[in-house]
Amino acid sequence: MINEERVKLMTRLAAYEEGEGKRNEAIGSYFRGDYLSLQIMKSIIYATISFGLILGLFVLYDSEFFVQEIYQIDLIQYAKNIIFYYIAFTAVYTVISYVVYAFRYRKAKKRLKVYFNNLKRLQVLYQRERKDKTQ
Amino acid sequence: MTRLLVLREQLKLLCSKYEIYLIPIGKFLTAMFTFLIINGNIGYMEKLAKFPLVIIMALLCSFLPLNFIIIMAAGLTLAHLYALSLECAAVVGILFLLMFLLYFRFSPKDTFVVLLTPICGALGVPYAIPMTMGLIGSPSSVVSVGCGVVVYYILDYVKDCASALTALDAEGMTSKFKTVIDGVIGNKAMFVMIVAFAATIIIVYFIRRMNIDHSWTIAIIVGGLANILMLLVGDLVLVTNISIIGTILGSIFAFAFVKVLQFFVFNLDYTRTERVQFEDDEYYYYVKAVPKITIATPNKKVKKVSASKETAEERVVRRSSATVQRSENAVSRERKTASSQQARRADGVRSTTGTGEAMRDEMLKERAKRYVDNHSK
Repeated sequence: MINEERVKLMTRLAAYEEGEGKRNEAIGSYFRGDYLSLQIMKSIIYATISFGLILGLFVLYDSEFFVQEIYQIDLIQYAKNIIFYYIAFTAVYTVISYVVYAFRYRKAKKRLKVYFNNLKRLQVLYQRERKDKTQ
Repeated sequence: MTRLLVLREQLKLLCSKYEIYLIPIGKFLTAMFTFLIINGNIGYMEKLAKFPLVIIMALLCSFLPLNFIIIMAAGLTLAHLYALSLECAAVVGILFLLMFLLYFRFSPKDTFVVLLTPICGALGVPYAIPMTMGLIGSPSSVVSVGCGVVVYYILDYVKDCASALTALDAEGMTSKFKTVIDGVIGNKAMFVMIVAFAATIIIVYFIRRMNIDHSWTIAIIVGGLANILMLLVGDLVLVTNISIIGTILGSIFAFAFVKVLQFFVFNLDYTRTERVQFEDDEYYYYVKAVPKITIATPNKKVKKVSASKETAEERVVRRSSATVQRSENAVSRERKTASSQQARRADGVRSTTGTGEAMRDEMLKERAKRYVDNHSK
């Protein structure tokens, strides 16, 4: 005999699992600190690649100047400037990603809590059904 | 208005009923339209600009996730630019990469706006984008719309300067890079447009969230006016050569476009039909959960106009007879309750003296009489 209430609940749970649930479960499988460190590491890598691309564009744009003035430029000062810009760029990007991912983690945890509550309800329904069958 | 509402409900029904076909068709049309616009504007690689190839690519996109259209469109754009000049393709490729690395890993859904902004620009309704994103998006949509504006202006620049870029072939790679980057960075109209669109999105977003009547309409109007104002100020300050009449007409057209969109699309609250499968100890379930939908049909009021008009006297008589009828009903109701109470009491006390019953009857009659008198007054 099909339990209508249980099927409704299972449908809702399955729909959640197929959609948003997958992403939330992936986030929920981490501790907060682990998740945020992983995302920050990724952000640093992305920021480094992006900075490299921007720098490459800049060098290509000003290549004539570099070729002509390479011996007049204070290379150490120039490198210091580049490192300063890199650190500033990466720091800003990392802070933004920290805020975004911290918010996302909190939201995912909240949704997962609702999901687990529904799973508990499902378990109760199962137990009740089994009891009815044995009686 | 009622007809429009019914039409909207029917549209909702149609969407949920044929959703399985409508989504791939929608993706196919979007992809085909996008590829045709790209080919029409910057179709420098003739091999890729053929119509059958566009159809095949669009068909492929119709069965793949939505973001695949964006990847295909970016690839197609880069291929065309490569045919024009390697430097141009490199600059645009780096800009695309920066957008994907820095922003779209946060919100992959917003990537579609980058595609829609140049399309709307090519169709002449670029102002519809900030209004729409202000209504359905969030303040973070500012970044995606900004990226879309950059893409639109880069492609516009390449289209305009294609012949000049080809002529620069002899001068070497570095000067070409410089020309392309200068062309992109030195485009004041692009920056004015980005600032105006960003402000419009934020204004529309905050007004539509306000707790006031017609907040959506007010948001669209105020956002549209702010957009026009900022573009005009930007034009005056930076001399960007943005057409004033074009901006005003475009904003009016965008307002109408967004209003239609708001009525038919945003208010649809169209919930998807869910198809899920799961199992328990005894069964496999293949469930199709269809959201409940009711079509609101217009209420028809039938007003009867009687031929004979009753006189004031007749009306008085009718009313008084109705009152009498009501009071009689009340008396009978009271009698019933009294007798039931009496029966209940009799169960407990069993007082069966004849005088007692007669007195009680008298009392009841008196109370009923009083009630009738009061009501008839």
